[in-house]
Amino acid sequence: SKFTQQELPACKPILTPKWVITAFTIVGIIFIPIGIASLSASNDVVEIVDRYETACIPEDSSGSKDAKIRFIQGNSSKTCNRTLTVPKHMKNPIYVYYQLDNFYQNHRRYVKSRNDQQLRSNDSASETDGCKPEAEANGQPIVPCGLIAWSLFNDTYNFQKNNAQLAVKKKGISWKSDRDHKFGKDVYPKNFQQGSLIGGASLNESYPLSDQEDLIVWMRTAALPTFRKLYGKIEVDLEANDVIQVTLENRYNTYSFNGKKKLVLSTTTWLGGKNDFLGIAYLAVGGLCLFLALSFTGIYFVKPR
Amino acid sequence: MKRYVYINDDDSTKDLYCDNRISNRKYTIVNFLPKNLWEQFSRFMNQYFLLIACLQLWSLITPVNPASTWGPLIFIFAVSATKEAWDDYNRYLSDKKANEKEVWVLRHGIKKHIQAQDIHVGNLVWLCENDEVPCDLVLIGTSDPQGLCYVETAALDGETDLKTRGVIECPSPDKDIRRFDANLRLFPPFIDNDICSLTIKNTLLQSCYLRNTEWACGVAVYTGNETKLGMSRGVPEPKLTAVDAMIDKLTGAIFVFQLVVVIVLGIAGDVWKETEAIKRWYVKYPPEGQWYELLIIPLRFELLCSIMIPISIKVSLDLVKSLYAKFIDWDIEMYDPESGTSSHAANTAISEDLGQVEYILTDKTGTLTENRMIFRRCCISGISYGNESGDAIKDVDLQNAVSTSSPDVIRFLSIMAICNTVVPTKSKSGTISYKAQSQDEDALVNAAANLHMALVSKSGNMIEINYNGSSVQYELLDTLEFTSDRKRMSVVVRDCQNGKVILMSKGADEAILPYSDPGQHTKIFSEAVEQYAQLGLRTLCLAWRELMEDEYREWSLMFKEANSTLVDREWRLAEVCQRLEHNLEILGVTAIEDRLQDGVPETIEMLRKAGVYFWMLTGDKQNTAIQIALSCNLISPEPKGQLLLIDGKTEDEVFRSLERVLLTMRITTSEPKDVAFVVDGWALEIALKHHRKAFTELAILSRTAICCRVTPSQKAQLVELLKSCDYKTLAIGDGGNDVRMIQQADIGVGISGREGLQAARAADYSIGKFRFLKRLILVHGHYSYNRTAFLSQYSFYKSLLICFIQILFSFISGVSGASLFNSVSLMAYNVFYTSIPVMVSVLDKDLSEKTVMQHPQILFYCHAGRLLNPSTFAGWFGRSLFHAIVVFVISMHAYSYEKSEMEEVAMVALSGCIWLQAFVVALETNSFTILQHLAIWGNLAAFYIINWILSALPASGMYTIMFRLCRQPAYWLTMLLIVAAGIGPVLALKYFRYTYTPSKINILQQAERLGGPILSLGNIEPQSRSFEKEVSSLSITLPKSRNSVYEPLLLDSPNSTGRSLGTVTPFDFLQSSSRLSSIYSRDYKTN
Repeated sequence: SKFTQQELPACKPILTPKWVITAFTIVGIIFIPIGIASLSASNDVVEIVDRYETACIPEDSSGSKDAKIRFIQGNSSKTCNRTLTVPKHMKNPIYVYYQLDNFYQNHRRYVKSRNDQQLRSNDSASETDGCKPEAEANGQPIVPCGLIAWSLFNDTYNFQKNNAQLAVKKKGISWKSDRDHKFGKDVYPKNFQQGSLIGGASLNESYPLSDQEDLIVWMRTAALPTFRKLYGKIEVDLEANDVIQVTLENRYNTYSFNGKKKLVLSTTTWLGGKNDFLGIAYLAVGGLCLFLALSFTGIYFVKPR
Repeated sequence: MKRYVYINDDDSTKDLYCDNRISNRKYTIVNFLPKNLWEQFSRFMNQYFLLIACLQLWSLITPVNPASTWGPLIFIFAVSATKEAWDDYNRYLSDKKANEKEVWVLRHGIKKHIQAQDIHVGNLVWLCENDEVPCDLVLIGTSDPQGLCYVETAALDGETDLKTRGVIECPSPDKDIRRFDANLRLFPPFIDNDICSLTIKNTLLQSCYLRNTEWACGVAVYTGNETKLGMSRGVPEPKLTAVDAMIDKLTGAIFVFQLVVVIVLGIAGDVWKETEAIKRWYVKYPPEGQWYELLIIPLRFELLCSIMIPISIKVSLDLVKSLYAKFIDWDIEMYDPESGTSSHAANTAISEDLGQVEYILTDKTGTLTENRMIFRRCCISGISYGNESGDAIKDVDLQNAVSTSSPDVIRFLSIMAICNTVVPTKSKSGTISYKAQSQDEDALVNAAANLHMALVSKSGNMIEINYNGSSVQYELLDTLEFTSDRKRMSVVVRDCQNGKVILMSKGADEAILPYSDPGQHTKIFSEAVEQYAQLGLRTLCLAWRELMEDEYREWSLMFKEANSTLVDREWRLAEVCQRLEHNLEILGVTAIEDRLQDGVPETIEMLRKAGVYFWMLTGDKQNTAIQIALSCNLISPEPKGQLLLIDGKTEDEVFRSLERVLLTMRITTSEPKDVAFVVDGWALEIALKHHRKAFTELAILSRTAICCRVTPSQKAQLVELLKSCDYKTLAIGDGGNDVRMIQQADIGVGISGREGLQAARAADYSIGKFRFLKRLILVHGHYSYNRTAFLSQYSFYKSLLICFIQILFSFISGVSGASLFNSVSLMAYNVFYTSIPVMVSVLDKDLSEKTVMQHPQILFYCHAGRLLNPSTFAGWFGRSLFHAIVVFVISMHAYSYEKSEMEEVAMVALSGCIWLQAFVVALETNSFTILQHLAIWGNLAAFYIINWILSALPASGMYTIMFRLCRQPAYWLTMLLIVAAGIGPVLALKYFRYTYTPSKINILQQAERLGGPILSLGNIEPQSRSFEKEVSSLSITLPKSRNSVYEPLLLDSPNSTGRSLGTVTPFDFLQSSSRLSSIYSRDYKTN
């Protein structure tokens, strides 16, 4: 047969100048409009970023790192007021994120410290494999166990516009698939944050894990040391120059490792949040392709081979 | 130790020797698993992977689920084990078939039917026509005094008493199928106390077939695995190709690189942990760790980087190599319709070395020539016949001489008819056909018959000749056999008419002429020999002598005694024969033509153009050899070519002549002249023994050599010599005398020709005709090499790519040894996603078959590992690093901030890799068939389908991930960007090289596909390989081509591969044997 004789009909392209130059030109022509579209989508996003971890420390504690740590671990009031100004009209829904910098959720020791079976059903509540060193407290298994749950982010934000409460919807901020299949409806927090060291937030033991959306969001670990996690959604439009008062509880300790904390309010487009990378990269690659096509043409005319 | 076989006596030897159960099996059901595992784990790679897999069981350090290594490891082991088991099962089946075959055995005079496995030593085995011989037998009787068993009946005087009781004294089993020095004593009573000597001629060896004989009966002497065949069976040492050696070397280099990465990152990880991680309360490092804590991070990196060495490469290579072999088997153009044999690749592992051949050592008779002998001329008593017509039989003078019964002519013809081992068989219609072992004898007997001197029958010791209608009878007294040392054979016969005892001899001129009667002038005969040899004819001298009755009787006793010695029988016999073969009267010279096979000159010319060096090794005379060499284009006639002769009888003479030749050779290397040297067996022996260094240098300088009068072991020695200089040798031959050379060479090719299948069985490849060699080397060798070169480097590339991404990820995950990808993806990446598209590269053809055949120079171009060497590998290495950076940077930036969810980012990066892979394979494919399109793009589709399925399983970590991603425009934009950014520069660079610094292959591709003329392929024939040049090219380091890292380098000048050696010294790590030593630096070794 043709196969055994190695004689299957074959198309044998070779890199002729015409073919290569055309390919580069086409790629360039396609990429530049995509780049422009991506950039404009990114530009359409209105974003307010407020870094607050240094500003939210009282003057007397802001001297040294140790002082900051002492403050954050102490019992003094951690309430802090911030004022945000809306630069442009923001159409709802407006997403409220907290951003942590220099926080390694992807650390080998951290990212593995969880037990998915325990989270999924009550039957395996005592499963704490892989949760060390936060597997048990006082001889009892912790639900949810592991370092990730233990270090749950616990700053809270309260928004006011013109002295009126601005509602932040906390329902539906996590992935539906997680609520339905990864975090059980019959799993209740147990023995959580009862150890000698308290990491982050505590959980209300009367709600099942599938309703603890902050935890669900937090447990979707980030791949990068700088990440944003959804805190809630504001479902009203904000007008330009609106002033928003934020009352926040600055409880989470990022001082011991010089981590930054930011509050982010952002709208979204078809491409997601504000991210110029794709647009710029598309323009760069497209431009480079056109440049290569041009220079290959030039070289071809000067010296065909 | 001697073995005593008591004939037909069941009790005395039953338990002493094994029964006839043949077992070729390597394993039994019980020991299969442990033995097979043990064998697999004796390979370094497998030990390494096992170590990695075991380390992964330690959950503290494993970055991924142990299944990601255990899975492929078990898969690969299962594949090899299944293959072994299947082979072994087939062996078992064929053993079983042989063991359970029904045979007839005589027990106490009664014929009994038993299974072959129940035969014991001493049993009498009864064979019918066409039966296979079940074990080694000493023949004691047959139905026909003639036929195959002729010699045996002579030795036993036709005695077929089946109640025979006696003892055979024979040596312990060995594998030498040419020797069987035994004695037979019959009792009771000892007849004359006579010891009957037995030789190999008296035996029927296992697996032979009985032909033309109604029945035969023999005593089992060796049974089961102790038969000659069983002893010589044995696993031939696996041959390692240059490509394999290079892959091993590259694996070693990667291993070193991996160790460096592990150590650097391990230390960095520990430092980061001590300074940074300790501050991060959420990681909760205990203040005081265990003693082994410092080791944990380096070990994690070791596991993370273990994928750098592709676990699947051996399996993929084995798979594609067996496909190459199949392509050779299937090739219609290498099918020989004349003999109905197709080519066969017995060794599936070395196809790519066919494309690397530098020296071809070829046998002459049967390989270059057809081995179909025709009697053409003769010279009787100084008168030459057949000179005008070219056919002595039709020569009127000779016919007249026959009809006038000229005594010299009659004697000449009777020697032609009698002095041989030919067996005439008379068919029912009365026509006589001859069965001859040697084609020369066949030609002589047939010619004699045509000249009215027909050999009619040989029955018992009586030989009947029909001369011009009258019957003449001779009694055959002794046969002095032909051996390659004696180079002659003789018979002693008694003329029944006058009772005279006559010695008749025929043999090579130098084995006959020196023993002529001192009174006779032999000059005329040696001139005739010279003249015939010039015409490329094979010559034999015929001589005779009348013996005195006493002289014969005296000699006969000595002969009998020598014949029954157990030790050194061959040597003793030769000595005794020598005592009779002297004072011969030379009668004449016969000249036999051996025609060249079809297509031999074209094949040789083409392969020489391809830069292959040709050596002809033959047992023939120098002049014959030179004539054949001339007629098959091996050497050019005078003005163009030059023939240098090495001769001499003493060490000094040989040395002087060697020096002279070497000097000429050195001078003429720069001239476009075909210089060849000729050496004969004697001088060769001296040269190899005492002047090996000079001879080696000569061997390297000379493109052509003719070695005549060489023995099988010298042939093997020459192969060994060339191999020791790191040249790739191919030996081709057809006869049993070529077997050693074929087994010794890197590649052995056997021609399944007229001299039997011995050579073809021992060879790696067997072909029907010499002319198929060019297709085997040029087409199959070229393609196999190109494909393997791509496949192996690509395997490294894809493994490095995913590993580099993991390493880059470790920089943003606190150097903690975390894995970006999950276990399932990692496992599937190596086993499915990336191995299938590359498999179809077995169909890739860089050039069409026609182009390859028209431009054999391309073979030389691919020599010395041009497509697979550290420099091309550096290109792939650079490409994988570049692609890893592209994938990593783009996916990390496109999926940052709120989108930076671990599983999603991992999937984006993985899809990016898969997309790039598809395009890289597409870019490197030279010819797309439908299968390639299917594999490349189908694989991409399969990737999505597999991941959609995985994303639909709630239990999997990837639940819903792929569905989410596929709905995001950003995902598709990211893929497009990765492809464009990753492939664009590679394409640009490739195009640039292709157009402005094209390789020879590129030029031919352009010519082939655009139909234009070839602008300049240049002369890429090798000019010289002088040592000075080699050495100087080695000392230049840092090749200019280093700047281009994204492209596998296709270097132009034949020397540049040599140059790059300086930069790659670290790659010498893990050289397992001297054979692996750099094929780039042809170090001239004297050993």
